[in-house]
Amino acid sequence: MSLIVVGVNHKTAPVDIRERLAFNSNELIKEGLRYLINKPAINEALIFSTCNRVEIYAYHSVSGNAEKTIEGEKNIEEIIIDFLSDFHRIDRREFENYLYIYRDKEAVEHLFKVTSSLDSMIVGEPQITGQVKEAYEIALSERATSLILNHLMNRAFFTAKRVRNETRIGENPVSVSYAAVGLIKKVFDELSKKSVLLVGAGEMAELAIRHLIGSGVNNIYVTNRTYERAKELSKEFNGKAVSFENLKEQLTKVDIVICSTGAPHYVINEKMIREVMLSRKHKPIFLIDISVPRNIDPACNNLDNVYLYNIDDLQDVVDSNILERRKEAEKALGIVCEETEKFFQWLNSLDSVPVIVSIRNKAEMIRQEELEKFKSKFKDLPPEILNSIDYLTHSIINKIMHEPTVALKNNSDIKEVLIFAVRRLFGLDSEEE
Amino acid sequence: MGTIFFELALTLYFAGFLLSLAGIIRKKQDLDKAVLVCSLLGFILHSIYLALRYLKSGQAPVFSMHEANSFFAWSILFASFFIYRAYKAKILNFIVILSFSFMFVSAFFPRNIPSIKPELKSLWIDIHATMAVFGIALFSLAFIFSILYLIQERAIKSKKFGGIESIIPSLEILDKINYLLIFWGFPIFTIAIIVGLVKYLTLWGFLFDPKEIWSYLTWTVYLSIFYLRVKGDWRKKKAAYLTIFAFLLVLFGFFGINLLTESFHKPL
Repeated sequence: MSLIVVGVNHKTAPVDIRERLAFNSNELIKEGLRYLINKPAINEALIFSTCNRVEIYAYHSVSGNAEKTIEGEKNIEEIIIDFLSDFHRIDRREFENYLYIYRDKEAVEHLFKVTSSLDSMIVGEPQITGQVKEAYEIALSERATSLILNHLMNRAFFTAKRVRNETRIGENPVSVSYAAVGLIKKVFDELSKKSVLLVGAGEMAELAIRHLIGSGVNNIYVTNRTYERAKELSKEFNGKAVSFENLKEQLTKVDIVICSTGAPHYVINEKMIREVMLSRKHKPIFLIDISVPRNIDPACNNLDNVYLYNIDDLQDVVDSNILERRKEAEKALGIVCEETEKFFQWLNSLDSVPVIVSIRNKAEMIRQEELEKFKSKFKDLPPEILNSIDYLTHSIINKIMHEPTVALKNNSDIKEVLIFAVRRLFGLDSEEE
Repeated sequence: MGTIFFELALTLYFAGFLLSLAGIIRKKQDLDKAVLVCSLLGFILHSIYLALRYLKSGQAPVFSMHEANSFFAWSILFASFFIYRAYKAKILNFIVILSFSFMFVSAFFPRNIPSIKPELKSLWIDIHATMAVFGIALFSLAFIFSILYLIQERAIKSKKFGGIESIIPSLEILDKINYLLIFWGFPIFTIAIIVGLVKYLTLWGFLFDPKEIWSYLTWTVYLSIFYLRVKGDWRKKKAAYLTIFAFLLVLFGFFGINLLTESFHKPL
């Protein structure tokens, strides 16, 4: 058997190479797949292309002797590289050095890691599994995959699911704006009933607001030194613009404040919040200060029911989350190894010799059983008749088994499919899974 | 006497206990469903056990050490299922640990039906004892949730994460649950106290029992918590501290008074 992956990713290749090797539309991927599976050496193929990686998985069933196998493998690697070069009209010398090529066990391990988001730029990010699924669906629609890659992909998704369930790899946010939302959720429950005030403007603040909207917040107020700017921004978020002079009054009403102004001094000081808390009847308030220099007096955090995080605090949370993810990734690798092992067990079961032995044994067993039953029923039959029956049944079985045996021994393209079918038809796997 | 139901319930609680512990130690919530199933099944069997006991004896199953502990375990689970449904808060794991502990203690005491003084055999005393245990069960939950609140609050304030706070619900939920527990627990406890007092006066007149005095003291503390919470502008962290303090008083009433004095409230 021979499974291979040829690819580039964010670790091995600069963006301009990845760009040129990328398959930017489903149509391109389909075209590529058609090209690949038309090659006689390739039985099954899958193309996976995102902004961070381009990978081509291919399987070719081994026929003939070992020498040919090595030749075939060499061949398949060359075919894929040539394909990339032809397809994207890029000289192979330009990208060859950035490629990684994994075979068999390593290829399987690699795919499982990719699908489980262990090979991602941000380890544990959840999108990748969906992207692999999409790629697989395209391959399915082109009938580019068959028994081996189908099973392989299913195991990859199963592995990703296990990693997600059994480790905490995707649990803690690793971007500042997501981390902010995560912290807010530790204080407040139903975000749809909460209101947020944006003081100032700025990319990160706006991102945080968008994440909050995504989490259900729909009461948004915007304030700015220049009222016009506030009005403009509020339209973007479907919120309300409020005047900057009424800041204190606003603070008594809202639950979450995101502060990001260019002011060189504190816009919100401790005395102000102290008074605000009194008129709020100590209802909790979450303050996020992403401005540098800081706009909210750090002393506010000492007040009861006031929770203040500035940009450094958020960054610290993110850093420790990243560290945590790395630790969890170790655990995940264990799962990947386990699943790789299981996949290979399955693959080995597709070897023809043991299958032939198994079905023959099974047939012989059935024959013996039935003979015994027959003998105990008709006890007084003469031995020569019994011998003839023995001979007769034996030759029936041989005749029936002949064609399947030949077909299984034959090295055809669909050998694995046949073996798989035979295992099913004769119930050889009933004791497993 | 249906002891088999008790054993089965205990076993299921034990399974829930182990699952909860596994969840808390690993800081994962993936076992929560299994915890729910175990504790709910155990709870149903436990309810059958209590009902059978009541039918057999004609008195509330709360008078002996065995009964009081098992009814206590039952009460906190009963309340927790409501909380779980109302707030979809993932809190059962903490409760099941507590519930199992009481059930476990209960298993060590003799299971015979306690014989109480004939003059105390009345529906009123049943109501008094049941309400008292149930009220205190709600207070004990308020105690647990207050501790959880403080753990979560401390993590957010100090900006240090990575501990158990990751599987504790948000501050808002914890505070709401605490409010609910006091909101129900206090009136129930009050009824228990009033019924007990009236019965006491009609039976013996003024001759106060140490546990009773202690209960009035505890009651006034809960009264203040109740008042401040319902009034509304005094909440959160301070409420959590006071709730913890109040429950420590309850605990002293439960163990201290029983050990130090000759109260007739001593479980049989």
